[in-house]
Amino acid sequence: MKQNFLLICSLIFIISCSNNNSEVIDYNDNNLSTGGVLINAMSAEPSNLISMIAGDSASSAIASKIFNSLIRYDENLNFTSDIAESWKISNDQKTITFKIKKGLEWSDGEPLTSADVYFTWKLITNPNTRTPYGSDYALVSEASTPDANTFIVTYDDNYAPALDTWASLEILPKHILENEDINSTFFSRKPTGSNYYKLGDWVSGQQVNLIKSENGVLGAAYIEKLTSRIIPDTSSQFLELSAGNIDLMNINPIQFKRVFPAKPKLKNRTALYKEMGNGYTYLGFNLKREPFNDKKVRQAINYAINKDEVIKGVLLGLGEPISSPYKPGTRWSDPSLKPYEYSPKKALNLLKEAGYKMSDDNFLVKDGKTLEFEIITNQNKQREMTAVLIQRRLKEIGIKVSIRVIEWASFVNRFIKPGDFDVVVLGWSLSLDPDQFNIWHSSQQGPGQFNFVGYDNKKVDQLLEKGRRELNLDKREQIYHEFSRQLLDDSPIVYLYAGYGLTAVNKRIKGIKSPAPPAGIYHNSQDWFIPKSLRRNELTNK
Amino acid sequence: MIKYLIKRILWMIPMLIGISLISFFIMHLAPGDITSSEAAFNPKASEESRQKLRELYNLDKPVIIQYGLWLKRMVELDFGNSFASHQRPVLWEKKDANGNVIKGLIQESLPITLLINLIGIFLIFSVSIVLGTISAVKQNSVVDKSITFFIFVAFAIPGFWLALLLMYWTGVVNQWLPISGLHSLDYKSFSEIGQFFDLLKHLILPVSISMLSGLAGISLYVRNGMLDVLHQDFITTARSKGLKEKNVIFTHALKNAILPLITIIGLSIPGLIGGSVIAESIFAIPGMGKLFYDSVLMRDFPVIMGILTIGSVLTLIGTLIADIGYAWADPRIRKGLVK
Repeated sequence: MKQNFLLICSLIFIISCSNNNSEVIDYNDNNLSTGGVLINAMSAEPSNLISMIAGDSASSAIASKIFNSLIRYDENLNFTSDIAESWKISNDQKTITFKIKKGLEWSDGEPLTSADVYFTWKLITNPNTRTPYGSDYALVSEASTPDANTFIVTYDDNYAPALDTWASLEILPKHILENEDINSTFFSRKPTGSNYYKLGDWVSGQQVNLIKSENGVLGAAYIEKLTSRIIPDTSSQFLELSAGNIDLMNINPIQFKRVFPAKPKLKNRTALYKEMGNGYTYLGFNLKREPFNDKKVRQAINYAINKDEVIKGVLLGLGEPISSPYKPGTRWSDPSLKPYEYSPKKALNLLKEAGYKMSDDNFLVKDGKTLEFEIITNQNKQREMTAVLIQRRLKEIGIKVSIRVIEWASFVNRFIKPGDFDVVVLGWSLSLDPDQFNIWHSSQQGPGQFNFVGYDNKKVDQLLEKGRRELNLDKREQIYHEFSRQLLDDSPIVYLYAGYGLTAVNKRIKGIKSPAPPAGIYHNSQDWFIPKSLRRNELTNK
Repeated sequence: MIKYLIKRILWMIPMLIGISLISFFIMHLAPGDITSSEAAFNPKASEESRQKLRELYNLDKPVIIQYGLWLKRMVELDFGNSFASHQRPVLWEKKDANGNVIKGLIQESLPITLLINLIGIFLIFSVSIVLGTISAVKQNSVVDKSITFFIFVAFAIPGFWLALLLMYWTGVVNQWLPISGLHSLDYKSFSEIGQFFDLLKHLILPVSISMLSGLAGISLYVRNGMLDVLHQDFITTARSKGLKEKNVIFTHALKNAILPLITIIGLSIPGLIGGSVIAESIFAIPGMGKLFYDSVLMRDFPVIMGILTIGSVLTLIGTLIADIGYAWADPRIRKGLVK
């Protein structure tokens, strides 16, 4: 359905001819007030609102406005208080003591205490809970609640990602779920939370309404009601935005760069935001196969790919090249590391060093074998386009590349799990915690584990183990900078790009930070507001 | 006749078992299961936890045993619970111990798909019979040619493209009709009649789009049937008797010409529960097409099997109804059956 965007482009000319008779609205009213409705579009319906079981992004987008964690990330991606007002790490770095704010309440008025936190921890580590995320919390050897405002966890071994795991565990109410089966409870569609919104109603397949909660842990929000309309097709979302029926939607690079500039009227009442996205796209080699077990070949291919061209072609320039698996601008990303520049010359030299010679038909040959391989990827337009651009550049230096696109579940089970591939184009998330043990440690190569490229470097193994045990942030930073440097040099994957997250928001919504902070525009959604004169019903009454 | 019916209905049982067996195995031939969805490709989700999930869903057992478990539940008419939507019942709502009702997935998606398809089929057949008859009676005239041209254009235009154009024209430029969705945001505050008209307004575009592509087949069918009949001797006889042309066409020709449509109506019964994924996505209608498509992508086996089972039951019932309808309408076939 993404092809439809072209169609939208073709619509532009009709739009420019059409006569829009809506009056001019003054968007300069900045008077802060509570109330109003924000309507946004979602591409998928949440599967359920208990995040430890859900896992899809639609669910967590809604659930994060209803529930709180012990701690959270602030706008610069540092930890800050949420349910816990403070936390203390013991000297041996094995125990964390969370002090919970006093007088907290669930939206139904019941008190929120350490008992709820303990209950949630018990729940996610219970083997009968159908969650894929339990293993991080099972590392806690002892949890205790000496009083209603203290929650203490002890690990057998230092575990540096611990704080990150407590920032992602949403605390659930014990008084409601105690006697419920978490795997099938009504609660997933009718939750009671503690954050600044609570569930109003949920019309299946159509809309989820959140209503402001007055007794939220972080205080109250300004906007009275958040309506999320479920509209799977992005072209339809765009039409709804054009008609003024929705206020906010995620857009793609074509819409950002070409459609909005071509529609002055729509552009006048819409603000476009871009922020660093949450993932990056890479080209990954199967290091267990010839010729990718040769570092020189991998580096050569890295030099032969023009990343700027890929960013321009696939993302219309709305992305950044990266050189480590961390968000640019955060402490974990080392600014002194630079991506491999585009240099076919260096690539050819490296390949010659690796023993390849140019044959008469302009392909590289070693021991009578032409340098050729297959890139596989899943059905994702951007990844397909990326593969095509790479194919062309590699052909120029004499590498024969074919491309195969496969449906996701087959892709994972037929090719990734058994390790039956040459090269993949895939994505990883830019995780907020720097721990990359599951992806790069040599012990994580079993079927279904995430080091499926087969990366094995003793030095990196040691760094990853050290980084997991070091809770001091400065020391941790050093460890992961060293890890990134080694990873970049070994080039088991070619970092292609980290795309921006793009959002279009009606200008009636105020309080959104621009430019977006590292945590993205949504992090302060509590402070967004709609001035009285710009609310929908006010406008229709005029 | 009754003996024939009983025989037919009894035959449906082994047929259904066969169909379900084949569907079950084909479904499991596709690689992957619920734990390999894109959302589950998350470094925070360990392979051990995923293996544990597989065990909880019985996905680690041999396929034939999984089929046995499924069949055992089906005998009690229990369609099971969805993997992907937090154990929601596949077919019909269930009440938990505290009286909270958890609605079934098919229960929520089916009514709207059924409504759209029923209106759609009704419109397709009525418009097609009119168009087909006119075309046949005025064969090779300008009217005939323009009708044929129109229905072929309607058939050939990609539905999603036309849908977007219409949405733009009626929703953005002119704001006559809602663009997508089934209800206005505040429909709960409307009176019952208001809600009904609100729903109708939202259905105009989706139904018209689904109708357009169906017109071509049926109206050509009517046209050709009509032409066949019009060239037969008894029509000449009727005309030579001095009957009015109106009577010739409507009483004698049309009845015979639309007889084969009974089969088509019968065979379209299973289609009633199917929806178009593309149309449903564009119009943001939570119908059966989207439910089935998403379930396949998520490898949500209970939901896939639930929809396939209902589909095959309806197909079998549809063919039965078509046969009975035929026998009822055509004495020649009725006699054949009794023999």
